[in-house]
Amino acid sequence: MNPTELVVNEKLASIEPERKEHGIVMELSPYGVDKKKLGMWMFIVSDACTFAAFLFAYGYMRIGAPVWGTPFGPSSIANGVLMTAILLSSSLTMLAAVRASQADDRSSAKKWLGVTMLLGVIFAALHLREWFKLIGEGWRLFYNPTGGAAQFGATFFSVTGLHLTHVVTGVIALAFVVRGYSQRRYDQSHVETAGLYWHFVDLVWMFVFPLMYLMNAH
Amino acid sequence: MSSNRELSMTSYVGIGVGLMMIVGLEVVLTLQHLTPRTLLFGLLTLASMEAFVAIMYLMHVKYEQPILFWTIFPATLFVLIFLCYFFPDAFRMFSMRLIK
Repeated sequence: MNPTELVVNEKLASIEPERKEHGIVMELSPYGVDKKKLGMWMFIVSDACTFAAFLFAYGYMRIGAPVWGTPFGPSSIANGVLMTAILLSSSLTMLAAVRASQADDRSSAKKWLGVTMLLGVIFAALHLREWFKLIGEGWRLFYNPTGGAAQFGATFFSVTGLHLTHVVTGVIALAFVVRGYSQRRYDQSHVETAGLYWHFVDLVWMFVFPLMYLMNAH
Repeated sequence: MSSNRELSMTSYVGIGVGLMMIVGLEVVLTLQHLTPRTLLFGLLTLASMEAFVAIMYLMHVKYEQPILFWTIFPATLFVLIFLCYFFPDAFRMFSMRLIK
């Protein structure tokens, strides 16, 4: 092996494995992140705009409506706080999973991913409990049982429903990541990218809870 | 902004506890029976603080290259601020109400 080949091989060894297949002529990303992670950031930006549009529409309708529904009593607020605590805890367990995968501790990473999924399922169950409680009280997408603005049901069920869809999608995505990671088809970058999505779901809830629950407490 | 010294798991748990305390503060604020405008301002301020901490620490932006932050966040904030274009129409509807 001549000195030039040695230098090239040394450089190839120092960069991330997937770049090896493209050769040394491939320029490194100016963002210094994996392409999956950058793609996830692009998705997060577009999804943040979607949620913002929903929340802005809610604010618009709320200002425009003369009488707005405020159905949430202490039990619903306590349920919301519990849901927030569960989602925040799931973010911490996701961090633990990412850390374990970075340390190549596969069994620990899978365990923490499993705990994150379980917390996601509990969050979804509590969310549905709140929905069924409201439906039991007569609230519908286009009907307000107290006689006020009917838009409360439309905005509440659509915003929280969109968030719930993200949580359920996240749990399903994590299940795929666990499967791929167990079969060694996926590496730590997949766990990290899934973690980024999961933290985003938590981030959205930080706005959904005060705006949809606390602003509508009686 | 970018730093290679990542926090320990104990510090992350501390951040989680801090975020829960902000949520508690939001609930306390709600129980104060403030006007909707004041409550909205307070809740949005606290939620934005929570979001900033979550983005920087949980989503690891603090440990990424600064260019990632400067590419994504100003553009996103610009879009979110321009969504406010629609709001004057909501205030027009407010002034047209029969019940205020």
